[in-house]
Amino acid sequence: MTTSTARVAPIVPRGPAPDARRRRAARRRAVRPWVLLAPTLAVLAVLLLWPLVRVVDLSFQDFGLRELVSGEANYIGWENYAAILGDSYLWTVVLPNTVGFAACCVVLTVGLGTLVALFLNILGTFWKTVCSTAIMVAWAVPAVTGTYVWIWLFDPLNGLVASVLAGLGIIEPGTVNWYTDRLGFYAIATLNVVHHGFPFVAITVLAGLLTVPKELYEAATMDGAGAWRRFWQITAPMLKPVFAVVTILSTIWDFKVFTQIYLMPGGNGGNAEVFNLGVWSYIQSFAQGKYGMGSAIAVLLTGILLVITVVYMRTLFREEDL
Amino acid sequence: MKRSIPALTAGALVLALAACSSGGDTGDEPTDAGSGAEEGGGFEGQTLTVWIMEGTNPDASGYFDGVAEEFTARTGAELDVQFQPWDGAHDKFVTSIAGGTGPDVAEVGTTWTAEFAELGVLADLTASIEGAGLDGDLVEGLAEAGTYDGALYGMPWYAGVRSIIYNRDLFEAAGITETPTNWEELTAAVEALKASDPNVIPFPIPGDSQYSAYPFIWGAGGEIATESDGTWTATLDSPESIEGLEYYTGLALEHGASTAAADTWNEADALAAFEQGNVGMIIAGNWTVGRIAQDAPDLMESIGAFPIPSRDGGPAGSFLGGSHLGVWADSDQQDLGWEFIELMSTGQSAADWSEQTGFFPGQASALAEIAESEDPLVAPFAQQMLEAGRSVPLTPAFGQIQGAKTVEAMVQNILTGRMGVEEAAAEAVTAMNETFSAGS
Repeated sequence: MTTSTARVAPIVPRGPAPDARRRRAARRRAVRPWVLLAPTLAVLAVLLLWPLVRVVDLSFQDFGLRELVSGEANYIGWENYAAILGDSYLWTVVLPNTVGFAACCVVLTVGLGTLVALFLNILGTFWKTVCSTAIMVAWAVPAVTGTYVWIWLFDPLNGLVASVLAGLGIIEPGTVNWYTDRLGFYAIATLNVVHHGFPFVAITVLAGLLTVPKELYEAATMDGAGAWRRFWQITAPMLKPVFAVVTILSTIWDFKVFTQIYLMPGGNGGNAEVFNLGVWSYIQSFAQGKYGMGSAIAVLLTGILLVITVVYMRTLFREEDL
Repeated sequence: MKRSIPALTAGALVLALAACSSGGDTGDEPTDAGSGAEEGGGFEGQTLTVWIMEGTNPDASGYFDGVAEEFTARTGAELDVQFQPWDGAHDKFVTSIAGGTGPDVAEVGTTWTAEFAELGVLADLTASIEGAGLDGDLVEGLAEAGTYDGALYGMPWYAGVRSIIYNRDLFEAAGITETPTNWEELTAAVEALKASDPNVIPFPIPGDSQYSAYPFIWGAGGEIATESDGTWTATLDSPESIEGLEYYTGLALEHGASTAAADTWNEADALAAFEQGNVGMIIAGNWTVGRIAQDAPDLMESIGAFPIPSRDGGPAGSFLGGSHLGVWADSDQQDLGWEFIELMSTGQSAADWSEQTGFFPGQASALAEIAESEDPLVAPFAQQMLEAGRSVPLTPAFGQIQGAKTVEAMVQNILTGRMGVEEAAAEAVTAMNETFSAGS
């Protein structure tokens, strides 16, 4: 069938039955996007798929420096996963750190970002530009730079926070070290991540707000709805897809935070109480040369993220067509 | 579900980043291929690629311009020196090993040499060193660290050791006339400093520095780990090690020597605090003297040094660190590589290097000359190095333990009060023994 239609292709005008022509056109329509996508997909396959496959492959091996140098494989089945999942360290330290930290960061980032967006939305053009530029700066600061700024702010001896608290007579400088305490450490990390992450949410939500018809708010005001009610009855439902996107992106970013933790005092290995999955994976792989174990942790992290994303998308859009 | 695609992509990126080691290899490949037969020992037309660590010598490029000239005059070959930052250097070495993109000759940190030798990355230099008659004149600790399985894989190049640098003004203000020579005097000095001015931090105990802790373990007669029949066993929980750790952390916890801020300091942080002028003394390497001269020239007038004391007097063991020069095993310029190493580690080049960097030379005869020095900022270090230079356990597994920061974690756990000394030591021993038994 295929060959015969292909042969008669040149004489299309008087060619085969309209039925066949339509089918061919449909097939061409189906193929064309893939042809156009091919270069991108090829690049993605090389840059993303292959490393992904490799990480999964490594996670089933006892892969150390020796294997790295010789290039030999050393499969051990599910042992890495068994070791990780059977380690109480995962359940008592790393997972609570990762999940708790991500949850706090997501709630705070989306909450703060939305508030800032609502605020920006009521400003006039001039101040809107000034304020969005200011918050964009926070976003533009590289994670490394931003992290060092926060580390210095909270420096236990000479930092601004220690000096202010000392000036108020609350603490004696140098007697309190927030970084050694798990909660203190993550409180600072949360400030850092939220500060770095909220501008994206604010700008995205602001863009969404601009698409909501003004008439809806006017009508609601006429009906006597307050600001609170207007937000939950109009803004929230209208911007549901926007919130879905920023929440999922934030969740993924905050789950896999690495730089902001690793660079903080104690985060690079000295204080095992503050590791999250990303740091744990890195330390296993690169500091200890256990690439197989590190890969298994990375796979686990990805798996958790996939599950969260799927569950979240399903609940959010159960009755809607995406 | 379209909207989640960028998100999934982002998630997958984590994996991608975890998978590809951060190669970023910009170095040139050795370019000797097809250069033809050598003519009578000359190496004309060849290029030797060398990796040198960045930051050791403030004027490294000036120094290596001179070396390159000399090298070309001697061998006819060109020298291509590429500087590598210490930060992440180990990763970079490993990556280049895996990718086959290594240099011909590299500076290798002494604690890595055994590891790389075991992996077959470095060439055996024993015959070359003996052939040049250098084998009797190597600084012992460095030669020991460069030895794997009875053969020398790293040519001792330069060495450094930690002692105590102190602020003479603060010592005088506290009425301390003699530098401490044993633990009792050290404690007395700490207390005098504390009493004279409560704003002074007498002796910060940095939680993120293993090399500051070892002298107290060794100084009490303890060991990090011992070997018998090729099996290493951690001994941080021996009575002697515990005594050393108790004294070291007790300085902070009982005698007010330190500050809570120092619980997460590394040596660089401690040095930075010292440079501000209200820290009594710190454990610091001999190479940091030049650093202080650069950062805080005003302070230079009032600093002094003395060996880290052991419990009963005399210098305590202190880690003898430094660098080797090694030839990459898969380089096809083995002879030329050795020519370069010999040039660098002996004679005028070596003397210039140690003068410019403040490190000690790797040749015993050259070190002996420096030890005669009267310089109060050189002699105490030389004494510590010659009388008590020590190495950490010479097994590749110890590299992993250092990577895991087991010792730092132990010290931090004690300093922050999370654990008692014995509990923290026991935890560290368990972790170390696990690595030792898995590594061999």
